[in-house]
Amino acid sequence: MKLKVNGAEYEVAADWYNESLLMVLREHLGLTGSRFSCGIGQCGACVVHLDGAPVNSCLIPVQDVADKDVLTIEGLASADGTLHPLQQSWIDENVPQCGFCQSGQIMQALALLNNTPDPSDADIDQAMSENLCRCGTYDRIRKAIKTAAPKLWEAV
Amino acid sequence: MAKFSRRKFLFATGWIAGGVTALYLLRNRATAVAPTIIFPDAASGAAWLQIRPDGNCRMLFPRMDMGQNANTGLAQIAAEELNIQAHDIEGVVPSTNQVPPFAVTAGSMSLTAFSRPVAIAAATLREHLRARAATKLNVPLSAVFDARGGFTTADQRTLGYADLVDQTDVMVDIDADQPLPKLYSFDSTRVKQQVGHNVSPLGIRGLVTGAPVYSADVPITDVLYGRVVQPPVRNARIAGLDTSGIDAVQGFIRLVHDGDFVGVVCKTPSAVDAAMAKVRVTWDLQQPINQNAIDQLVDVDAALAEGELKHVLQDNAHRKDVEWQVDLRFDVQVQSHAAQEPRAAIARFNSQGPHRLEIWTGTQDPFGINRFASMDTGLSEDEVVVHPQRMGGGFGGREHYEVERDAVRLARAMNQPVKVQWTRADEFTAGRNRPASTHRLRIAADADGNLSDWWYAYVTGYVTFARERLPNWLLPVVRLGDDMGVVKGALAPYAASHQRVECKDVDLPVDLGVWRSLNGAPAIFAIESAMDELAVQLDVEPVAFKIAQMQGDQPRLQGCLEKVQVLSAKRTLPQGAGYGRGFAAGIYDGRCFVAVSADVYIDPQSQQIKVLHMCCAQDVGLAVNPDQLRAQIESNLAWSIGMALLEKLEVGNDDIQSSNFDNYSIPRMADMPSLDIEVIDQPNIPSTGAGEVALVAGPPAIANAIRKASGFRPLRLPITYADVAAG
Repeated sequence: MKLKVNGAEYEVAADWYNESLLMVLREHLGLTGSRFSCGIGQCGACVVHLDGAPVNSCLIPVQDVADKDVLTIEGLASADGTLHPLQQSWIDENVPQCGFCQSGQIMQALALLNNTPDPSDADIDQAMSENLCRCGTYDRIRKAIKTAAPKLWEAV
Repeated sequence: MAKFSRRKFLFATGWIAGGVTALYLLRNRATAVAPTIIFPDAASGAAWLQIRPDGNCRMLFPRMDMGQNANTGLAQIAAEELNIQAHDIEGVVPSTNQVPPFAVTAGSMSLTAFSRPVAIAAATLREHLRARAATKLNVPLSAVFDARGGFTTADQRTLGYADLVDQTDVMVDIDADQPLPKLYSFDSTRVKQQVGHNVSPLGIRGLVTGAPVYSADVPITDVLYGRVVQPPVRNARIAGLDTSGIDAVQGFIRLVHDGDFVGVVCKTPSAVDAAMAKVRVTWDLQQPINQNAIDQLVDVDAALAEGELKHVLQDNAHRKDVEWQVDLRFDVQVQSHAAQEPRAAIARFNSQGPHRLEIWTGTQDPFGINRFASMDTGLSEDEVVVHPQRMGGGFGGREHYEVERDAVRLARAMNQPVKVQWTRADEFTAGRNRPASTHRLRIAADADGNLSDWWYAYVTGYVTFARERLPNWLLPVVRLGDDMGVVKGALAPYAASHQRVECKDVDLPVDLGVWRSLNGAPAIFAIESAMDELAVQLDVEPVAFKIAQMQGDQPRLQGCLEKVQVLSAKRTLPQGAGYGRGFAAGIYDGRCFVAVSADVYIDPQSQQIKVLHMCCAQDVGLAVNPDQLRAQIESNLAWSIGMALLEKLEVGNDDIQSSNFDNYSIPRMADMPSLDIEVIDQPNIPSTGAGEVALVAGPPAIANAIRKASGFRPLRLPITYADVAAG
């Protein structure tokens, strides 16, 4: 079975066919940027994009995504190392504390901005409501989304 | 510690490869069974920094990072002394074989304990290099001035550090008997380049790009996956075990069962899930586990009815029979850490080399893990090495040999590396919680409206002396003394002629331990709620009343309260039913000062209590990195909302019911109010730490706002809309 992640094709060994997408990414392909936190789709730490839509990868059987494009946090920056505008805003606002949820937060924020280029506070609350941050960096996440929004569309 | 063994460590790390290293040495070792409690001072410490032949600076980072970014602050101090930038410093997080032991990262002590030793080491290094520059330039020392990354002279002859350091190893010892070099970091007259600036956390790029920084991310060849059955309490015994059907699980390799330890090892993570579903354990719990049992054990009124409580913390002319204006009881529930990262560890036994056992784990106390793994396996401490990784949240809950034990025992049974990833349910079942507590506070005022009598009694579960945190034989002995976690926050900053504070600590049928702020937040919730209620009874403005009752003895706390009043006044509280603003102040650990205001709205439509806006003023001593201090305050305010309105570990009938975020609520984006935070910088006072400070004042500020909004005095946490509506 093949898996397309961040534009590259990976071979998945047969031993791993019964795993979740998250565990294949992390434990089999070595893409550990998507994090395991709740395992039941309640916290958003494992959010990746499937054909452009955000999903909790802990809930997705890997066999269901063989024909889809997977985008993970590792695929956001350019090949030359230039950070995605959202990643840069996350640094400019010094968002991360422990950092564990932030891959999922950024992937969820990207999905929001893809659909809502200029989100209001209510849009952000709504879109990010399933992404938990125990450190409580929410105020900075909100700011970082707002500062990234115009840059995202300039970049396009 | 002898010079020889320090050199041994330096060689072990490959640290010695040319350059000049400044060292600060160590105090005595900790006892084997307690958390590592060695703190550095000028003549005895455990970190070093080095200027390498290329002129770059390398620094050992002595703090375990879990989001507080203490190492960034320490790098700023080293950079200030050396006239370089913090981001130019290469930070090394040491494995336990690379350095002498250093203290557990806990108690908001990092900057308090480490900033001065780091500054002294860096300044000593700088002056050593200045002497080299003077020799090289053939001028007196006084003619060698600081320059960016080196030195210069009046006639602009400049030498960088690379010009002064060669391949020869030189160690510069800090001599406590010599006069100290000038410490730039603490010189309030200096225009600083690093200290006091908002330096971005070191390593932040890795956190936004998904870099492998946590223990579960470490790639280890041929690793297997394991998990262990976690008991509802750690002293439970296995009474029955049924594993029928486990052999049919695809990918299952082995069941490891030894006494009360039972775990599985499999080829892949989902095979572990499937195999664990086949492991059915019946527990002999040693005691019933239920909410009723907990409530009875911490019932302060029942305890007072039996007489004086176990620990009397203050007794000044106590009067029992006075007319109390306030006589209230406050109840606080068991709370979980619920860190975003469920803990994980990898263990590997090696047949060759000096280190028979290697452990990769995120822990607040790598040397504690090293000692416990040594005791558990019979290997010597030198044969075990712990490679500490970043933690996805610690908050006091990552000090013990737990997931590491699971990985070590399974790896030993397999003779192959094993990774153990705790599930979220494991975290709730086997994590160590903040104990439940109840608090009886009685206050009387005289005819002038000043405090005359104060009687505070409370009962709580143990914190630092909790069962299984120390060996059973030691517990009865240490419990005769004061549990430093239990007594935190108990002494109020208010003056009364007649004052008594007493408490009792008890064992509870859930696993207990250190939770952010320890007893500080529960005690100060009670104290600040009661003082607010007295102000209501006396019909006086609560902030002015509290300041008056400090009688001028608490200028720093008073400053926080005055500042937070100004901050809160910047925003108009909406008029109308259901809106309220509350204030609270507190001192954490006798050295950290904070005041918080909260604006709330009690919404009958949604039947919710909404926190609309919070302000915080915190006196931090020297503010090394104001933005990172602000970040810690934001985090504490989020936790305040959780503690006041959301969080309670659900205890069932002989089990822990909370198992995930669908039945243990923590604050979400929509729960987070707008914030206005002021970090009060005191350049002449040592840094006080911030990791768990504002959490002492946040919950009572919210409770006091609810009182203002509704007339209802919250007596029980978490506060629900139904409580308020029922009045």
